[in-house]
Amino acid sequence: MFLTMKVAFRNISRQKKRSFLLAGAIAFGMMIITLMNALTGGAVINIRDNFSHALGGHVFITGREWTDAGQMIMKIRPDANLDRLLEENSGQIAAFTRRSQAMPSLIFGSQQTLHMLYGVDFVEEERLVNSLVVIEGSLAEVGKRDDIIVLPEPVAERLGVEVGETVLIRLETLTGQQNVGEVQVAALIKDQEELGLSAAYTSRAYLNGLLGMEPHEYQILNMFVTDLDQVEQFARTFREGLMAPDEEEEQIDEPEVTVTVAGVPIDPVQRTEEVTPWEGTRYQVMNINQIMDAVELVVGVLNRVGLIIFLILLVVTMVGITNTFRMIMIERTKEIGTMRAFGMHQKQVKNIFLWEAVFLGLLGCLGGLVLAGLIALAVGSISLNADPSLQFFLDNSRITFALPGKDIVTNVVLVIFTSLLAAYWPARAAAKMSPIKALSSHT
Amino acid sequence: MKKVHFLAAVLLCILAMSLVAQAQDLRHIEEILDNLDAQSRFDGSDFSAVLTMIVEDLEQGIEKMVVRQFRRDDGERFLLLIQEPVTQRGQGYLLEGDNLWFYDPSSRQFAHTSLKETFQGSDARNADFGSSSYSSSYEIEGYLEGTLGSFEVYIIDLKAVDDTVPFPYVKLWVTKDSNLVLKTEEYSLTYRLMRTGLFPKYTKVGNVVIPVQMVFIDELIEGNKTQISVSEISTNDIPDHVFTKAYIERVNR
Repeated sequence: MFLTMKVAFRNISRQKKRSFLLAGAIAFGMMIITLMNALTGGAVINIRDNFSHALGGHVFITGREWTDAGQMIMKIRPDANLDRLLEENSGQIAAFTRRSQAMPSLIFGSQQTLHMLYGVDFVEEERLVNSLVVIEGSLAEVGKRDDIIVLPEPVAERLGVEVGETVLIRLETLTGQQNVGEVQVAALIKDQEELGLSAAYTSRAYLNGLLGMEPHEYQILNMFVTDLDQVEQFARTFREGLMAPDEEEEQIDEPEVTVTVAGVPIDPVQRTEEVTPWEGTRYQVMNINQIMDAVELVVGVLNRVGLIIFLILLVVTMVGITNTFRMIMIERTKEIGTMRAFGMHQKQVKNIFLWEAVFLGLLGCLGGLVLAGLIALAVGSISLNADPSLQFFLDNSRITFALPGKDIVTNVVLVIFTSLLAAYWPARAAAKMSPIKALSSHT
Repeated sequence: MKKVHFLAAVLLCILAMSLVAQAQDLRHIEEILDNLDAQSRFDGSDFSAVLTMIVEDLEQGIEKMVVRQFRRDDGERFLLLIQEPVTQRGQGYLLEGDNLWFYDPSSRQFAHTSLKETFQGSDARNADFGSSSYSSSYEIEGYLEGTLGSFEVYIIDLKAVDDTVPFPYVKLWVTKDSNLVLKTEEYSLTYRLMRTGLFPKYTKVGNVVIPVQMVFIDELIEGNKTQISVSEISTNDIPDHVFTKAYIERVNR
């Protein structure tokens, strides 16, 4: 076997130009599929990270309850059961935040703008405070005073407000009553719109007051988990742990996604559901994978499209390989006759051809992977000043590439298989050649 | 000692009398509120009119809207059909008891909305187009007597009894002689003035007195206000099918 491999390898090096062209065609296809897979793989990772950042976690818990007037409102009261679950699962929680949120009119003078406003506990959310890029003003007061607001710079520009001035917040309470608050602008921050997170921040206690909630209540509990692979199991633990005894069993199924990014629902389908009022708080537990399902579906389609293109390229290359090997067979007719006359078996002749195809395929794959790697490195080092909506697919304005090992193996196996298939018939024809006829051939 | 007892008795009497007088005064104010609500309701007849709204917005400029209103207070129904501007023609609001629906002909969809919401981004609220419910939705916090222009008025402070009204606090200027609301001030939960309403002109339609000119001023954004004029008033019977979703769908097709 080693001998046939050696002969095959020597044959490839004998016709360098032809081998280079054949391997080059394979390499081109390999490069395309590798880049496409790596691009979509990187995009999925970036979207997941950016979503997590925008939504403030990997697992999101919201609470709903009915008022005496028969109105459903979204809030979470202090709950010993929830605290117990947090305590019991603390090992799997990297960080968590309790927030309130609203989409109020921010008013300054005669200017107003609607903008997402998060009510946060600045002392508890050290991670958020550290991540905000202050352009003007300071965050020194944010944990000490309640009636302050941190505004994204573009919002401040729209309103024409500066640090130290007072902005009005007009909103509705959870039950729909009009309310107005006055807050002082503490700082202007760099807009994080590219991450889907163009939000202003104020104290949770203050926003709660405006929404008609108690200071210690909140609307959404966001958790970052330590192991993203376990996120679904983690979310299920909370979903089952928070389920009220009277809740229907079928609700154990994962709920439809109703998470919003900057106030915009991710789920575009408005559903109408008949609900019977219940006592106390009912929780909804969602995880980042539920949001990613739709994204991964699109990525799957892209990958399949890429695979089809790759297969078309392979078929074209296969025709090339078959023709080339037929040519090689004719060129080497005398050589085959000599080898057969010296005792080489038919199978060995066939294997020489097949090994040549394998080596060509492997060389093509290697070349394609190297080329794809170089292109990925070059493209990945460019910082793109892309449209904000595209930033969601990027990592800090850069395209990233990620390719799982199994995808590489699959593609290589596919190339080798098609190369073998393309070389099979010429190889078989060469093996079946009569040594006498071959030696008497004029080619 | 007897003197002290006597003085205490006198003070108690004065206190009791003042409490009785205050209770009587509050009862009088309650009657005024009842009267306000009663004279704003078309019980036993239907009402239709054309509302011309001039919406002044500092950012978006001045916009004119023409709305045809059909009202049947028995059963708490109203239908508001937008006729102008042309871009919004066919949009409408249908109140059926507690449910208020907004219809958009471009999507052919009904969306649930609330009486608390603003009407088409103006300074008017959907609730402004129905009968008033001061006596049932608010309790009296206090009142003063005063004048507004040349009118003798009661200035009544009201506080909402529940969450069903958009403004938790309201101040009314009501004429003493005819019990007409001349001015309203509506406050947020934090007691900040949000909207002022002026009602300079009324007309009597049967037993009902309705304002035919209304001005709503946004007190948070300087320069934003909405003026509403009411014309083509009629109390003729309106067919039942007018207060249906089917009607609103086909009326401007």
